[in-house]
Amino acid sequence: MENDTDTEPNPQSKAGRFPAGQVFLSGIAGLILAACINSSALLTDAERLPDGRSRSLSVAIWTPIEAAASTLKLTWPRTVGDSLLGRSGDKGQISLRREQIEVVPESQNEEWLVFSVEEEQRPELQLDQGTTDTSESLWGPSNPFTIWVLGDSMVQFFGETFVTMAEKSPSVSATAEPKLASGLSRPDYFDWPSRISEVMTTHDPDAVILMFGGNDAQNIRADDGGWLDRFGKQWEEEYRRRIALVMDLAVAKPERIVLWVGQPPMRGEGFDLRMKQLNDLYRAEADERPGVQYLDLRSLFTDESGNYARYLLDSSGKLVDVRLTDGVHLSHWGGEWLSEFLLKEIKKSPEVEELWNQ
Amino acid sequence: MLFPTLAFGLFFVAIFLLNWLTRPQPLIWKITMFCSSLFFYGWWNWRFVFLLLWAIASNWFAGTQIDKCLQLGSKDSAKKWMRVAIVGDLVLLGVFKYYDFFAVELSNLLGSSTVIPLLELTLPVGISFFTFQAMSYVIDMHRKLIKPMPVLDFAVYLSFFPQLVAGPIVRASEMAPQISQRPDPRHVASGEAFQLILRGLFKKVVISSWLASAIVDDVFANPEGHSSQDVLLGVYGYAIQIYADFSGYTDIAIGVALLLGFRFPTNFDRPYSALSLREFWKRWHITLSSWLRDYLYIPLGGNRGKNADTYRNLLITMILGGLWHGSTWNFVIWGAIHGVALAVERLLPKWQIHPAVRWIATFHIVCFAWIFFRAESFSSAVDVLRAIVISSGPTELSNVLLILVLAAMLLAQFIPDSRSEDVKQWLNRRGVLAQGLAFGAGLVLIDMFGPDGVAPFIYFQF
Repeated sequence: MENDTDTEPNPQSKAGRFPAGQVFLSGIAGLILAACINSSALLTDAERLPDGRSRSLSVAIWTPIEAAASTLKLTWPRTVGDSLLGRSGDKGQISLRREQIEVVPESQNEEWLVFSVEEEQRPELQLDQGTTDTSESLWGPSNPFTIWVLGDSMVQFFGETFVTMAEKSPSVSATAEPKLASGLSRPDYFDWPSRISEVMTTHDPDAVILMFGGNDAQNIRADDGGWLDRFGKQWEEEYRRRIALVMDLAVAKPERIVLWVGQPPMRGEGFDLRMKQLNDLYRAEADERPGVQYLDLRSLFTDESGNYARYLLDSSGKLVDVRLTDGVHLSHWGGEWLSEFLLKEIKKSPEVEELWNQ
Repeated sequence: MLFPTLAFGLFFVAIFLLNWLTRPQPLIWKITMFCSSLFFYGWWNWRFVFLLLWAIASNWFAGTQIDKCLQLGSKDSAKKWMRVAIVGDLVLLGVFKYYDFFAVELSNLLGSSTVIPLLELTLPVGISFFTFQAMSYVIDMHRKLIKPMPVLDFAVYLSFFPQLVAGPIVRASEMAPQISQRPDPRHVASGEAFQLILRGLFKKVVISSWLASAIVDDVFANPEGHSSQDVLLGVYGYAIQIYADFSGYTDIAIGVALLLGFRFPTNFDRPYSALSLREFWKRWHITLSSWLRDYLYIPLGGNRGKNADTYRNLLITMILGGLWHGSTWNFVIWGAIHGVALAVERLLPKWQIHPAVRWIATFHIVCFAWIFFRAESFSSAVDVLRAIVISSGPTELSNVLLILVLAAMLLAQFIPDSRSEDVKQWLNRRGVLAQGLAFGAGLVLIDMFGPDGVAPFIYFQF
């Protein structure tokens, strides 16, 4: 073994070098140390994974490690570190019940904005869309028409473009708030209904644009802790209930413009099919609510044959890339197309359109 | 499979063990490493494994033919084989990376009535890196700089997972001896490797991800919605972000390779300390810039001809270097800015300019070019430039922490090598168990300071 190698390092460079077996064991010791100290965070990450073999395996691995590490008080360095960084948020399982959504801290003094039986108590609203002559006095640079765009990573790719285009009018204030990898299937990762309720309560937007679905074609955890299989009957009932909850929160104020943006066509066949199924659910729920308008993007982002297309002809007959190379998200140009489309919808109300003509 | 993930951690623990256990049997070791690399590559998309296999088979065969021809004294035939191999590699790259770009531009040039069919293919991860390595192999073979590698050695070289998807671009002359010779299993450079992996993870997970979410993504998405101060800091932020991202990947790749007994070339050497563009390119993505120098700039004539020829060669090299990064006009402009700046630098008389002025000028030219590199389109880049000069947006993103992080990262570029060597030596002096535990503690800190999710490395898309 002594002379079994072809290269012999310079003795001076041997510092910090050890036999491979020892390096392996020390590396494993380091990884075990890191795994124990980080076990709570790693278990949380594992629980956030979509239901499936990978999640089951990860949870099965990290649950006993976390239990053992907690018992041995090995997790305290991470806990202390997180506290110092202000990151001690154990979310746990969140139940999407209407009565719970109503209890968001910011809404306590303004319950009229949260969709609830107390709607009648709301202060008199300043806006009546049917009365065109009041619009000019209602919205202006000091009291802008507010638009919020909320959703998953799709919003990240067009949200800021939309904000720029919308805010070409000094009387409009737009905000885009994307949350990557989020949706309605996994409130344990991000609780959209609570956030939407919070936005409606705190900011009382005049228009809301919602776009979810890209991460939602996965199993859902029921209130009893069990999992509902994707697109099964119970899953569909639960998912529709969540869509309904979000839509109801948004249309709590009848004058508000609420646009629900459907998923565009996707390059992957299976993914595209799943998005079509979700779009059907969004459309069905929107149809039941006069205040919610469902926007179908399929015709906007397909070629002449009705198929997914990365490049499409713009109004001047020039080919532009409207999708990113991942076959899912929108490119800069795609974001502009969608933003124009959304603004057109918002401007359908003449008094609102007037804001961009001032 | 991304480096900073649990999946890679588990994969690497197994590979480390297999690597050292099978090392005494070269054939088994090579088969093990080759299969491991294919598994690593197939994790993204197994179909592209066949593309990699094709690149291995075709370039190895061409290399063998070149060597045979040279042995027989048939230089012309050797050159033909080299050209066939290079064209094959460029076709591969062209079909997957550039076809749609040129087809769209041509369609737009010819008018809407003539639409050239598009392929709309998914870009295989790392294709630019492994095709460049393959080209260097056949060219070096033709130049008689290397001997032909046995097929399994070449397969291990081209598919070697630490550098497969985002470099560094390691040449066959650097890897072949390391594959054929066995490293001493009693002397694994664990101290240096752990330090490099931790440094790379820190740069990627903490610095790069934080800068992206704290300022860069917002500023480039909507420059007009931010103040000039925010936009300017966003541009500086991107300069640091892309450095932390790419050099972080390289550090991890070099550290991982070291643990397997391989030493990769240096790819970054404090690039933002450069006092000229020429110096910047000796410090930034060194393996790509030296590739472009040896296989493009010098064959074009380099600086051997008239001044005008040198400027032309510089411009062509840098524009093609820009296009290597991606098939958009912004990358072409990025390359052209560097090409013109390098040419102007040569053109200027050798004045005695204070180093501080030279540093400021160099850093800002690099940042100016980064705007085009990062922006999604030419008009977006112009929006960023306009917003730096005139913007009425609010100052919301600038804060003391951000400025401190940017300043610290820039100052770190001026820390002499001897200082960073001190840190390495400190870890080297520790026992192996202490090294492992320090590594574990480092991972905890990085995970604690890092964001929830880590975006893919920027250079994966190239």
